[in-house]
Amino acid sequence: MILDDGATILSSAIRLAAPLGFAACGEYLAERAGTMNISIEGMMITGAFTAVAAASATGSATLGLLAGAIAGLVIGAVHGNASHRLAVNTFVVGLTLNVLALGATSFFNESMDLTGHQVAQVSIPVLRDIPLVGEPLFVQRWPVYLLLGLIPLTWYLVERTRWGLELRAVGENPQGADVTGIRVNIRRRQALLWCGLFSGLGGAHLAVGAVGSFNDNMTAGRGYLVIAAVIFGAWRLRGTILGVALFGLADAMRLALPAVGVKLNSQLLIAAPYLLALAAMVLVVRRTRQPAALGKPFTRGIV
Amino acid sequence: MTQPPRPPRSAAPAIELRGITKRYGRVVACDGVDLAVRRGEIHGLLGENGAGKSTLMKVLSGLVRPDSGVILRDGVPVDVADPHVAAGIGVAMVHQHFSLVGALTVWENVVLGEGREGRDRCDGGLAPAGGQGAHKGWLAGARGRHGQGRGRLRRDEACADVVRVGERYGITVDPLARVDSLSAGQRQRVEIIKCLRRDPDVIVLDEPTSVLSLAESRDLFAVLRRAVTGDGAARDGAVTGDGDLPAKAVVLISHKLAEILGATDRVTVLRRGRVVTRRATADTDAATLAREMVGREVSLGEEAAALGLTPPILSTGAARDGAAVLEVAGVTVGAPSGVPLLESFTLGLRAGEIVGLYGVEGNGQSALGDVLAGLVVPDRGEVRVAGEAVDLRRPGALHAAGVGVIPEDRHRSGVVLDMSVADNLVMTDLGPVSGRLLVSRRRQLRHAAELAERFAISCPSLDAPLRTLSGGNQQRVVLARELAGSPAVLVAAQPTRGLDVGAIEGMYGELRAAAARGVAVLLVSTELEEVMALSHRIAVISAGRVVGELDPAEADAERLGLLVGGAVGDHAATASALVSGRASTVQAGATGDGR
Repeated sequence: MILDDGATILSSAIRLAAPLGFAACGEYLAERAGTMNISIEGMMITGAFTAVAAASATGSATLGLLAGAIAGLVIGAVHGNASHRLAVNTFVVGLTLNVLALGATSFFNESMDLTGHQVAQVSIPVLRDIPLVGEPLFVQRWPVYLLLGLIPLTWYLVERTRWGLELRAVGENPQGADVTGIRVNIRRRQALLWCGLFSGLGGAHLAVGAVGSFNDNMTAGRGYLVIAAVIFGAWRLRGTILGVALFGLADAMRLALPAVGVKLNSQLLIAAPYLLALAAMVLVVRRTRQPAALGKPFTRGIV
Repeated sequence: MTQPPRPPRSAAPAIELRGITKRYGRVVACDGVDLAVRRGEIHGLLGENGAGKSTLMKVLSGLVRPDSGVILRDGVPVDVADPHVAAGIGVAMVHQHFSLVGALTVWENVVLGEGREGRDRCDGGLAPAGGQGAHKGWLAGARGRHGQGRGRLRRDEACADVVRVGERYGITVDPLARVDSLSAGQRQRVEIIKCLRRDPDVIVLDEPTSVLSLAESRDLFAVLRRAVTGDGAARDGAVTGDGDLPAKAVVLISHKLAEILGATDRVTVLRRGRVVTRRATADTDAATLAREMVGREVSLGEEAAALGLTPPILSTGAARDGAAVLEVAGVTVGAPSGVPLLESFTLGLRAGEIVGLYGVEGNGQSALGDVLAGLVVPDRGEVRVAGEAVDLRRPGALHAAGVGVIPEDRHRSGVVLDMSVADNLVMTDLGPVSGRLLVSRRRQLRHAAELAERFAISCPSLDAPLRTLSGGNQQRVVLARELAGSPAVLVAAQPTRGLDVGAIEGMYGELRAAAARGVAVLLVSTELEEVMALSHRIAVISAGRVVGELDPAEADAERLGLLVGGAVGDHAATASALVSGRASTVQAGATGDGR
């Protein structure tokens, strides 16, 4: 019985953490390049809606995922160009995009008739029969396994490639990077595009992977949780993923505890992941070292 | 992106600037400046602060677009639109303050930003040498497999390359160290290696010795000499086959006469944005250069320190008696990256004396300034004024106790540029000009007018924003405000940085006058000459602690250099210190002539 409950909670924790995981890989990379990407919430919800809309139109949940990722990419491009070329404050751009995305997706959701689609479930024989962890790990929607590849790829890009080295330099000392011959704002836009792509995918996975349909404000602040996860992880990928897992687990508890008969205040349960994020940040933020130029716009010559 | 052909040794100068003009509003930073630098020479660019040296070099490195004028590279006109173009045509600049990324390691910094241009250049300059497998492999790998300059980083090969370039020019540095953990001198070595590894033809160094001890300066000039003669290449077995590593051209920007005289082949003097003179260094002397730089006769006595020459000892070394007015006791300030900024720093000041705190930049002076300005609360230790410990956690406590501070960076913590002169003059002490609730504008203006008169602040109006004043006048505003409250202690951190010679002399006069009135003055400076000219007592700071105290009469450049370098054994002992050596001979000659 306990094993069954545990497996159920774990299973739903992984299911709920996966969308955050995609977005976290993106946000982590963007923040290492020095952009505090607030618009991640907008990227996720747009990705979620676009995925359902595209899946509904084409009948393919996989095409929906793809469309969601591209929608996120477009938001990343808008954000990058507005904050670099038009020199609008990046936080203002981000907040505006978030509000716009929330309103637009709700509006189109009202005015369109969408049918739900969901990507295929992968179930690996033999391994799925391992007690406790078998089902959570080996019976999941297939994008979850894509995430398992994305995490090491992100790490490799940031830590082992020339491009990643330049990203880190841009996030730490843009003036120095500039005189060294790196095009600072281009690197930052590339990082934003990467973030948009995978945040959109994360949102899409939430809609056509985890849930199977779209409802208004379905991301419900998950984008902000991802930002919290990056801070929780002290701008290291391992810590970020740990934060994502923790928030996923808290979310799973919210669903699972009443089901297994534990009576708790339901509002408190709904708030649990957010409270956890707040607590984690207060505890963690003291001993962290963020990229030195995080959130600071770059203009040549101003030192 | 233009890459001009590279004739092996053409008659045309390696780099030539013609008629460069740059205006900032009404201020003309460069006015039709011509400068030609040949291969194989170290070219000194001498001028006071604000003469236009740095603007000129920013034009050359693509950070600033000139209003008019052309740049020729080996005789071919080039359009240096941004730093990437500058790198592409083989112009490298060693920046003093902002080009290394502290959170990265040495080797990461060295390979950073080597785009396609950088690699093509290496290809032309170094790779044909063949022979050295690792080196060639690194380049070939980087170029071939990684195309656009993306691709995988090869740590071991990059590290080997850092060591190899270092050996060629006689620079040692640990490629795996984080730049955060290095001293200012070591960071500059990293800058130089980073610069040399790209094999530029023209190297520009902007005031490189401000962060170096004397021994380190001497080493730097030796490295530069090797770079311009191509000597390093000949001694490196692997490259001997090539043998013809083209000689480089070096531009050394400085406002210090001794450096220019000691280390350069030719010199161009700038004054107020115009070229005053250009000639072979050997044909000139300190007195001539000083006159050309400042634009009037300069006695190399009193003013020598302002020009970067060691002055004769002018201050009487009579030690002041009495109790300490300011005592800094065991102050420790930690740093986020581990190495403490200040470690058990202890120093006492008596009334009426000027104590010079001399040291190479980046050894804790900034942290000390911040502690004494109340910006940083130390982890341990205390500050006592007139025997009473000050509660450093209370904002303004030090000011109330009678400590005035001229901060190191006046724009950061000394003034508010967009507020008026009058506002800036009363900002730290509103008591005398305000009632319980309201500031009396009448009293404020009267007070400000008095101060402006007393300290000879020249400004269009007391209501003008401080931004409109010259650097020297801004500094006078800070000085006036800090001395207005009749403090017992005045902390002057790098008080003459960025000022012209006239303003520097004015500042020296004010500091001496303050001491004569009985104020205890702490002069924090990286300028040896300044410290020797003003101090009654010299304390030397290194790695966040006081490593020695000297009477100026017994202090000379050698002994101070030893202390500053943390007495690094024979290395410093043998430092016959190029700079000081030349300076003192020049000095002797000049003062002999003058009197």
